[in-house]
Amino acid sequence: MAVVADAGTLYGLLAVGAGLATGLAGIGAGVGEQGIGAAVVGVVAEEPGFLGKGLFLMLLPETLIIFGLAVSLILMFAWTPFAGIVTP
Amino acid sequence: MPVLRLPKFGLPVKYAYITGRVRAMKTKLIPAEMYPRMMSMELSEIARYLEETQYKDEIDALSKDYSGVELIEHATFANLAKTFRKLEEVSIDEPSFLILEYLRRWDVWNIKTILRGKFSGATDTDITKYLVPAGELSPEHLEELAKKDSINDIISAFDGTDYASALAQYDGNNLASLENALDKLYYFRMERAVGGTLSVGGGLLLKYVRREIDIKNLITLFRMNKAGVDGAIIQENLIPGGKLHDELSRMAGQPFGEFLRGLEGYPFWSSISDIATADLDAVSRIEARLKAYLIRYAWALSNYHPLSILPVLGYMVSKETEVSNIRKIVRGKEAGLPAELVEEQVVVA
Repeated sequence: MAVVADAGTLYGLLAVGAGLATGLAGIGAGVGEQGIGAAVVGVVAEEPGFLGKGLFLMLLPETLIIFGLAVSLILMFAWTPFAGIVTP
Repeated sequence: MPVLRLPKFGLPVKYAYITGRVRAMKTKLIPAEMYPRMMSMELSEIARYLEETQYKDEIDALSKDYSGVELIEHATFANLAKTFRKLEEVSIDEPSFLILEYLRRWDVWNIKTILRGKFSGATDTDITKYLVPAGELSPEHLEELAKKDSINDIISAFDGTDYASALAQYDGNNLASLENALDKLYYFRMERAVGGTLSVGGGLLLKYVRREIDIKNLITLFRMNKAGVDGAIIQENLIPGGKLHDELSRMAGQPFGEFLRGLEGYPFWSSISDIATADLDAVSRIEARLKAYLIRYAWALSNYHPLSILPVLGYMVSKETEVSNIRKIVRGKEAGLPAELVEEQVVVA
């Protein structure tokens, strides 16, 4: 079996992919949350009782990060395509 | 004179806070079904009811100085001013600019009140009671103006401001032309400050204001055409800048029946079609319906642009209407008007 690249490079690229998955998901969630957060603070300023519901709504985009995190974890620990490659 | 020049990108988020806040404030407005109930209440009961609503602080604060109609009237005005000032203070950038631009109508209202008061020889404390300092002019400045001795002193106090040109119209014996000029100036200034910019929010505000001008002109047409006033005089009284200005100004001076037929097919027609007949007895009923249409229009527009100035506008219009409804009810009660008559004047969107 031909070696495409050395194991260290592959593992490094995988780590970069994992980082991007969580990082970009985080940025996306942040963009989504900025409007919701501002609106929730506005409503809570008038109706303090809305805080619970408002927090829930604000955390909805946060679920996107979980997807990103899941992909990162799979990349780092569960999916190891180079397992076979590195063997001489 | 500040002119709005802001980039388009990233703006909706600036509206998130203020729209969230006004939507919460909207839930505290008096529900439409309360008005008929208020009509069957005594004045003291109405004051007590208002004490359970957002007017509590003002009713409490003013109840030692006033009672009855005066108490309710001043409390509602004070609350209106407080609420509008709050909206302006809690918003930033474009929303704040646009809200202030809209609230300048209260400056016009206050200037008119002061001039009318001086014209009729009211004392400065009496004039101050009826001021609504919701606009740009501060309460202290307005009080100072009210303390001036004559109308000419007040007019000269505005030298160098935008109001000077309109106030120069005062001819010494009547305020009508001056008041008209102030109204026109308000809309002209708004168009100049907001119109022709890149801003989406400013465009939406103008869209509503153009419709508002049309409705105001339409009410003028209803009144004057009904009274059979000459077309040229009516046209002088129409406010320029409305979307339907040319079409409406062509209707000036038309016989009433023909005028009504000409209105069919316009978007506002469905809200007045059942009462706009040739034997219409009171234009105020049409006025109430058209104002209700305007509120519905503002809220309907805001559904298309949820993160824009429109929900704020819708709230401000609803709040103004609420205060004027309460005033109509309590003043009607005091004057002993029949309930049906007052009910027709109350604007329910």
